[in-house]
Amino acid sequence: MLSVHPVNDTYLGLPGYVFAWAIFIAGLSLFFYIIYKRSLLIRSGEADPRLASLGRRLSDLLTYGIIQKRQPRYLWAGVIHIMIFWGFVVLGLRSIDLVTQGLNMPIFHPLMQTAFGPFYDSLKDLFELIVLGACLWAILRRALIRPERYRGSHQFEAYFVLGLISFLMLTDMFYEGSALLMDQSGQVKWLPASELAALILQGSAPRFLAGTHAVSYWLHILALFFFLNFLPLGKHFHIITALPNVFFKRLSKGAIKPARWGVEDIDELESLGVEKIEDFTWKHILDFYTCTECGRCSDNCPANAIGRPLSPKMLTIKLRDHCFDRAPLFGWKKGGAPAEGAQAMVGGIISNDEIWSCTTCGACEEECPVFIEYIDKIIDMRRHLIETSQNPKTFNQVLMHVEKTGNPFGKPAAKRADWIKEMEGTPVRALSEGDEVDVLFFVDSYGSYDPAAQSIASDIAEGLHIAGIDFGILGPLEKDSGHQVRRMGEEGLFQLLLEENMETLNEIRFNRIVTTDPHAFNTLKNDYPGSLQVVHYTQFFVDLVDNGSLKPLKRLEKEDMYTYHDPCYLGRHNGIYDAPRKLLRAIPSLNLVEMERSRDRSFCCGGGDVMLWYEIEQEEMRMAEKRIQMAKEAGANVIVTACPFCYIHFEDAIKTGGMEDEMRVVDLMGLLVSTLRN
Amino acid sequence: MNIIVCIKRVPLTQEVDLEVDELKKGVKKDALAYVINDWDNYAVEEAVLLQEKFGGTVTAITIGDEDDEEILRRALAMGADKSIRIEPGERELDGFVISKILAKTIRDLEYDLILTGVQADDDNAAMVGTMLAEELGLSHAAVVTGMEPEGSDAIIRVELEGGMDEVSKIKLPSLLTIQTGINEPRYVSIMGIRKARKKELVVINVEDLGLSEDDLAQRTMIEEVFLPPETEGAEMIEGDPSSVASQIIQIIKEKGVSI
Repeated sequence: MLSVHPVNDTYLGLPGYVFAWAIFIAGLSLFFYIIYKRSLLIRSGEADPRLASLGRRLSDLLTYGIIQKRQPRYLWAGVIHIMIFWGFVVLGLRSIDLVTQGLNMPIFHPLMQTAFGPFYDSLKDLFELIVLGACLWAILRRALIRPERYRGSHQFEAYFVLGLISFLMLTDMFYEGSALLMDQSGQVKWLPASELAALILQGSAPRFLAGTHAVSYWLHILALFFFLNFLPLGKHFHIITALPNVFFKRLSKGAIKPARWGVEDIDELESLGVEKIEDFTWKHILDFYTCTECGRCSDNCPANAIGRPLSPKMLTIKLRDHCFDRAPLFGWKKGGAPAEGAQAMVGGIISNDEIWSCTTCGACEEECPVFIEYIDKIIDMRRHLIETSQNPKTFNQVLMHVEKTGNPFGKPAAKRADWIKEMEGTPVRALSEGDEVDVLFFVDSYGSYDPAAQSIASDIAEGLHIAGIDFGILGPLEKDSGHQVRRMGEEGLFQLLLEENMETLNEIRFNRIVTTDPHAFNTLKNDYPGSLQVVHYTQFFVDLVDNGSLKPLKRLEKEDMYTYHDPCYLGRHNGIYDAPRKLLRAIPSLNLVEMERSRDRSFCCGGGDVMLWYEIEQEEMRMAEKRIQMAKEAGANVIVTACPFCYIHFEDAIKTGGMEDEMRVVDLMGLLVSTLRN
Repeated sequence: MNIIVCIKRVPLTQEVDLEVDELKKGVKKDALAYVINDWDNYAVEEAVLLQEKFGGTVTAITIGDEDDEEILRRALAMGADKSIRIEPGERELDGFVISKILAKTIRDLEYDLILTGVQADDDNAAMVGTMLAEELGLSHAAVVTGMEPEGSDAIIRVELEGGMDEVSKIKLPSLLTIQTGINEPRYVSIMGIRKARKKELVVINVEDLGLSEDDLAQRTMIEEVFLPPETEGAEMIEGDPSSVASQIIQIIKEKGVSI
């Protein structure tokens, strides 16, 4: 240790620690003031319970917050980030040490006198070099490789902060490096960063060394407090909010949040959905603060990929800017009204087409390293659009049909089971109230009425029949599951369908529900109350094949190359990736190839809700068309899916793209059943 | 501008295999889903648009039982201010009786404009609008596709045969029967309809209107309702898509549609 610490010098006739205290008090006061101001908006957000399952939260915090498991999904960016993050963790202690030295309260002094001291000195030096290297690497990456996903991000801020972090590293290096050269004690420590600085400073006059020492210290302290106060002003707020955001992340997938948390009966609500920023939940506002603008969401967003006006990253950036406008650092009180003539948030800052572009596929949420949520926000904004009649007009009839006939086609409820009349040799029971059955086959509207989906439903019924399962359908008693309706933002209608379906389900005794459609599966499993025993047909049939009840023996006729497309609501939302693949592998002589984007990075086909009834004009190509291209690139000529909507979209894309000769789409169930028939 | 809209609840018959009832005077209705008559939906939207632009009140009226109140609540949710349901009891109604009942109810109300749909989806009679106007002694226009108030008049656009439109001036108060396509009716959410319960819904018993038995006597007697006999003659067009398409275009042209 040097005898003269920079704070013990006098400056302008005052001792240095006076300045250190001044910087400390000013810097910290300003910081707490800014954080207080930022917190006002969070506190005026809607309720959102995020404290259940503390153990799981802590373990997720460790996995995703500290170990940063999602970072290396983008390998090099992830490695750089982990280097800097861990640098911050290690160097945090060093910063506090430097500040407290200046305050003449060296609280870590005793600790540094122990064996930990030299070890930590070496460690922090090593990390200073790691962080410096990572910053330089990051700067070069941004400047030279220019990843597309950074488009629209605050690039200047990124460079500025990388520079600032480097500056912090350098000032500490020179502070310690100059001390090393002035130190006569002869202590030997391994201090790679300081020694590097010392190498540069070698041969300098003692006065210059002392000056460098003092200047480095003061610049470091000033830069540190500047940095602290700069963080909450932009995207680097994530340095403060990311860990809380990961801790408060949602633990379950698939379900849409209720209209308001804590309100059982939506009739009690004045209005549904989100119109202004404070209508978002506090966690969703924290999400906006936490965005790092890394663009991984938009890089994986299928709507963005085909040129629709939605970019999840830009949605968050725009809403964060709006947060900062609504709750500025000076002059905003909680509950204040928006300024007269201000642009509306929903329909203005975020355009209606942005809101309707989302397929709720969940690719963005799967990718976000800090677990920012998008689907619930989009649905909340849709709820507002529906409530204020700002929905696409094409929805009017669809929603009216669902309300009046229980299906989006407006076909008579009495004809819901008509498809079973076409089933030759496969008896299908239409259940009545009071009946008892092992498997309740929930067909849902498309399976019941749409010809393509009907054939999938027929195949499932045939498979169940071949396996000797006691099963039945609800027929005219079944109402649309409401998955689409809920995701279109018509919460009232969804609740109505849910009530009616639950009443029916309560009148029938069954052991489990099997669904045609991953969407119905998802909504029955995650949106419906209680815990219905519900499985998708792929899960159900993989068990039957496993236990030998079904033997797919018949070889496929043609030598095709198959690829499996993960439906979003089976894969990402419910984690079912292996059951369908296992079924495919059980089919003799089936050649399977994986697409580059598969499993949790699957690329949405276009979706099972809004897309069916509303065309976003701003679109370069269909999602399904792009997906078919991916299948082709993988070398496949048959794309297998396990969702009627994927099937419909792919079939359409193959026809409109004139690819009938080179590509085919099959539903997994149809494929399986074809290998069971003699 | 105070507007009265007369609306009706009709069955959704799309793709329904209708069955004639035992008396052969109507169809079996128990399994049918009911909705607001499509034309009336446009009429309500038009009334609400005019009210949003020029102020005043919109009153929706229907004749029917409690189940029919649903369409009144829908109209209220769309923006109507009040609504009236006239309970007809067990009485059989035809266009004549309906217009008598409506006229009697409306006569005491303040209005500048009455809107109805051109026709109702169930019987397609298209009688009530014009008969009601006659009953009230109002100027009227049918199949209206556009309406713009101008002082104490209104400029209206009416759809004629053969794709022609006619623009004329009509003196208010008047009655217009509204054609679909005049606007884009808004969607009202289930929650919106539920909330509309707070708005005014008055129920009037038809007996209390003081109409004579003659006024309430039907003028249209249905002899028999029957399904059209199945006929031969469906023409299957075969060939590759482009020749099928050109044959279809040929048929459309022959039938007189100008393409």
